[in-house]
Amino acid sequence: MTSPVVHVTRHVLSGALLRGARQDVRLVARGWRWGRRSMVPRSAEPFVPAQTAEPFPTAWARTPAATVVRDGLQRFGLRPLMRSGITPTVRGLDVLDQLAGPVVFVANHTSHLDTPLILCSLPDAWRRKTAVAAAADYFFDTWWRATSSAMVFNTFPIERRSGSMSATPGDLLADGWNVVVFPEGTRSPDGWTRRFKPGAAFLSQTQQVPVVPVGIRGSFAAMPRGRGWPVPGRPAVTVRFGEPLLPQVGEGPREFGTRIEGAVALLVDEDATTWWDATRRAARGQTPPMSAPDTAQWRRVWDQTRPPVVRTTRRIWR
Amino acid sequence: MMLALELFRSIPRYAAARTLGSRMPGLLVGPMAPVRLVTRDEPSVRHDGWARVRPLLSGICGSDLGVVTGSTSLYFSALVSMPFVPGHEVVGELLDDATDHAGVPLPRGTRVVVDPVLACAARGLAPCPSCTSGRTNLCDHVTVGHLSPGLQTGFCRDTGGGWGEQLVAHSSQLHAVPDDLSDERAVLVEPIACAVQLARRAQVPSGGSVLVSGAGAVGLFATLALRELTDAGRITVIAKHGRQADLARSFGATDVASPDEAMRAVRRATRALRVAPAPLPGPAARVVGGAGEMLLGGVDVAVDAVGSTGSLDTVLRSTRAGGRVVLSGMPAAADLSPAWFRELEVAGTYASSGDAFDVAMGLARLAPLEGVVGGRYPLHRWREALDHAHSAGRLGTVKVCFDVRSRA
Amino acid sequence: MSRPGFVLEVDDRTPPLVVHEGEGFRLETFPRGTRVIYPPESLPGIRDVDGAIRRALLEPTNSEPLPVLLTAGMRLTIAFDDISLPLPPMVKPDIRQRIIEQVLTMAAAAGVDDVEIISANALHRRLTAAELKDIVGERVFRSFFPQGALYNHDAEDPDGMLFIGETDRGEVVEINKRAAESDLLVYVNVNLVAMDGGHKSVPIGLAGYKSLRHHHNSHTMVNSRSFMDHTKSAMHHSAWRMGKLLADHLKIFTIETTLNNDVFPDSYGFLMKREWEWGVRDQASMLAARRGLAIAPKSVRHKLYQGMRAPYGLTGINAGETEAVHELTVAKVHQQQMVEVQGQSDVLVMGVPYVGPYNVNSTMNPILATCMGLGYYFNSYRGQPVVRKGGAVILYHPVEPDFNQLHHPSYVDFFEEVLSTSTDPAVIEAKFEQQYATDPWYVHLYRTSHAYHGVHPFYMWYWAAHAMDHVGDVVWVGADRKAVERMGFRAASSLQDALEMVSGTVGRSPSITYLHNPPHLIADVR
Repeated sequence: MTSPVVHVTRHVLSGALLRGARQDVRLVARGWRWGRRSMVPRSAEPFVPAQTAEPFPTAWARTPAATVVRDGLQRFGLRPLMRSGITPTVRGLDVLDQLAGPVVFVANHTSHLDTPLILCSLPDAWRRKTAVAAAADYFFDTWWRATSSAMVFNTFPIERRSGSMSATPGDLLADGWNVVVFPEGTRSPDGWTRRFKPGAAFLSQTQQVPVVPVGIRGSFAAMPRGRGWPVPGRPAVTVRFGEPLLPQVGEGPREFGTRIEGAVALLVDEDATTWWDATRRAARGQTPPMSAPDTAQWRRVWDQTRPPVVRTTRRIWR
Repeated sequence: MMLALELFRSIPRYAAARTLGSRMPGLLVGPMAPVRLVTRDEPSVRHDGWARVRPLLSGICGSDLGVVTGSTSLYFSALVSMPFVPGHEVVGELLDDATDHAGVPLPRGTRVVVDPVLACAARGLAPCPSCTSGRTNLCDHVTVGHLSPGLQTGFCRDTGGGWGEQLVAHSSQLHAVPDDLSDERAVLVEPIACAVQLARRAQVPSGGSVLVSGAGAVGLFATLALRELTDAGRITVIAKHGRQADLARSFGATDVASPDEAMRAVRRATRALRVAPAPLPGPAARVVGGAGEMLLGGVDVAVDAVGSTGSLDTVLRSTRAGGRVVLSGMPAAADLSPAWFRELEVAGTYASSGDAFDVAMGLARLAPLEGVVGGRYPLHRWREALDHAHSAGRLGTVKVCFDVRSRA
Repeated sequence: MSRPGFVLEVDDRTPPLVVHEGEGFRLETFPRGTRVIYPPESLPGIRDVDGAIRRALLEPTNSEPLPVLLTAGMRLTIAFDDISLPLPPMVKPDIRQRIIEQVLTMAAAAGVDDVEIISANALHRRLTAAELKDIVGERVFRSFFPQGALYNHDAEDPDGMLFIGETDRGEVVEINKRAAESDLLVYVNVNLVAMDGGHKSVPIGLAGYKSLRHHHNSHTMVNSRSFMDHTKSAMHHSAWRMGKLLADHLKIFTIETTLNNDVFPDSYGFLMKREWEWGVRDQASMLAARRGLAIAPKSVRHKLYQGMRAPYGLTGINAGETEAVHELTVAKVHQQQMVEVQGQSDVLVMGVPYVGPYNVNSTMNPILATCMGLGYYFNSYRGQPVVRKGGAVILYHPVEPDFNQLHHPSYVDFFEEVLSTSTDPAVIEAKFEQQYATDPWYVHLYRTSHAYHGVHPFYMWYWAAHAMDHVGDVVWVGADRKAVERMGFRAASSLQDALEMVSGTVGRSPSITYLHNPPHLIADVR
């Protein structure tokens, strides 16, 4: 009878532990197709329960510890990385000074740059308290993508197929988190904005929180769909925050949604021209529509890849 | 001049054997053995009744090994005379005309086996009380008379022994071997005669249960003799090795158990109650040692054919109250409490007397003894022979012999 | 919603499957085409257990409500299934505790003073005080144990047994005297598998050797096709005859419970899942468990496994007249465990887990492992055996020749003495059973220590008699070669070797079926 300590020591030192672990891991990696989709044996297929969207748990990503880690990642990783690839300009941050509580940031969406752009534009205190709604079927289909995006961007899954929003964004707002929503539901294929879905408006109405419209111009040109890195030359991208909107009494989510869409369009127009011009055009109802003109695909892309003219060289973010 | 193996007095070797022997048995048949192969004068005894015998086969007995390895009790040191040629299980042929123990004339060239006990008759003395009563194995005069001290041929300086090319034997020791008995069976007559003696000493009641602890040559022949000569019922043999178990069954054992199963097997065979002291807690058990279990009830007769402490404990603890324990091996120290508490009769059995040799001759002819002699070595390969004998059980061998004439 | 059991056909998408082997498990890659029988998933447990118990006692089947049967001044005896059920033992509070507490509450309300509580352990070992306490709960234990009113049944107490009569087949019916002379006997059962319960409760649980030998013998066992279907089991027929006789002499109020399939605690949740549905967490905890078990000394592993408590849910409770209650019970058990299987196969593969009915808090010795594999698992069928006549059985278990000297003293002798003489159940029965059954030492240990009765290993061997009669070849994977050979079987180091070894019996490309239990299942072979 050897003592347990001797037994364990011998087991470890003889290499049996490592050898066994390696064998097991290899077996499991092959059997469960690590890195690929797991498969169901054919004869078991009739017994597979209907896929209930089991939201990937992301609550851990909003714990204080994770927030601290993320703060570091964003500040010392994401931000320098962005600056090395693009030349961002941020305008209109002063609107946040009037606001205290949680808000819904609503932005147009043309590129994967949009999320880090918005996050890095925000003042630190706001950034730390901001979560991003991400498509459950894209960002939360595998554990590693879900975990990493929840870690770095503080994303949480929303279901974009079904019309109703999952309960999470409301809960987050109630908990005091700002939420970034891209109401188009997906990145634009040509840089032009598509119709906003009413989810963001609905959210703002039910939670009674203001919507802060965000207009992003140039990100499509910088890194369109299909690219994994901005085009060379540090292209200019602008992010413009607009006046907060509150749902009016008696206003449905659809009408409010249209109002939000207008506000975002105004910001894009303002960025392209001047605040004064854009406001006057808006008053006349002549804000150029963000949605694509009925022209050939190449012309729409051509328009959108024209870099924005940035009229100042003063850097806004610290 | 003749070739012989000689056991000589060597204090350092003896001491080494005592201290290291149990741990490094290799030493004992190697550099540390107090044995040497010598060319020396043939032994002779210039008295009437002695004849020269040329050994053909000569067995290696446990007691021989005991002497070689120094495990024998010092009790015997006064009963031997150094240097001597060991070997007391001998079949040989007469080099002189002689008579046998009963006075029947034996012509030169007759094959004989030797009863090794050197009693009053051989020593030219008037019979002591033991010899008078025919129990020559208990002779009180084994150190005096014509001969140097030596309880048996093979322990006496003057007679020579089986491990040499020649020895002398007194007519009282000679037993003619029938022609139909092969040398290999004849060399077993002496140990079987001891077993016959054992069977008689055991006094097994009719149908009584018997435990034989050990299945070396002694245990196996004891089993054979108990089965053939007594009315024993169930004979349980404790055998360590596989071949021993098979042989024990063929020699008449009812069931065979391994040593760690001994107590269990006896209990089952006799439907006794088994008691074990409550184990001491942790470290205490290591210091004191596990107090063994014992049976209340058990066998009528238990035979120790090993002599080790473990075997003695087993037989003492598994014999029923008032039962009989027969000591056949050279006994080591043991806890005798059961002998006191259960009023056991502890009986020794040593060598043989009376007509044991004649009975043994009959058994040797009939018993299934094929392959019992499992190794034959010429004298000059004595180290191999002793080594083989030392681990005979494990190697599936019962008896290792010197083939004295062989030069190969 | 729990999914039904089904038969998987191993294809190239199938991951390695879990096979239990004693205190451990392995992942086995089965040949393509192997059928794997999965038990139904756990049925949802009843939420309001106490309410269900109350309802069962107040609205029993074929019987007056329990409170009506309880009168002041009566002799009431409560007997309950011993520690052999359920397997593994359940997390506290034990269902028997909850039932007994309610029965006692009603008895107290009715003014019953003379109450005794008996563990119906037949020839099983006596339970320790701690084990009794685990089953009946602290409150009952404290109220009854110190007064000697909560105790183990003693089948060898000459003054404690009462001869009731003989059945029309001449079977002796003799049960616990206290129970037999009570005005009401309440039996609290845990019906883990279809074999338990019914008339197997009182006529067997409270009986002794004189009664048991009529149905626990090699002949009956070979003719029980199978134990899991009491209508086709010669053993149950005998017990039923005894039960009917007993019912004429004694008022018995039977309470039977059924459990769901939650046999592993949460930390081993992956063992309850179908392998291809294992998530990352399941795979990780499996890998960790495998390594942990490999590195752990045997004693630690033993402690870990024996310490496992199953978070069973109650799926049903029925009370009243024994036979009517048992019908309801069996239906519920079938709902939880029955899987329809089409046709027999050449080879049956089974993993023998760490615990069987007779080694709770103890060691699974070779005989118990055989009983578990060839006795219980093999017989876990309805209709016909999963393996064809003359087919082969491949079992997984280390089969180390370790015996618990406290619990299984007669097993050691059985293994050393009896099995080295013969492994044929009928031969063994004729030559040795009587000797072992009456050996005074075994009787002594059974009565005063915590030992299984001397005859118990024979019964274990008889359980396997049907399997040994039915199949041509038995091979143990990963087993101690010597121990397995002593029992007349063969050992292989891997499934491939085992299939190679049985190829003489079943050919080169046999049809293979693997019973994926635990959790428990019954194969309904059509």
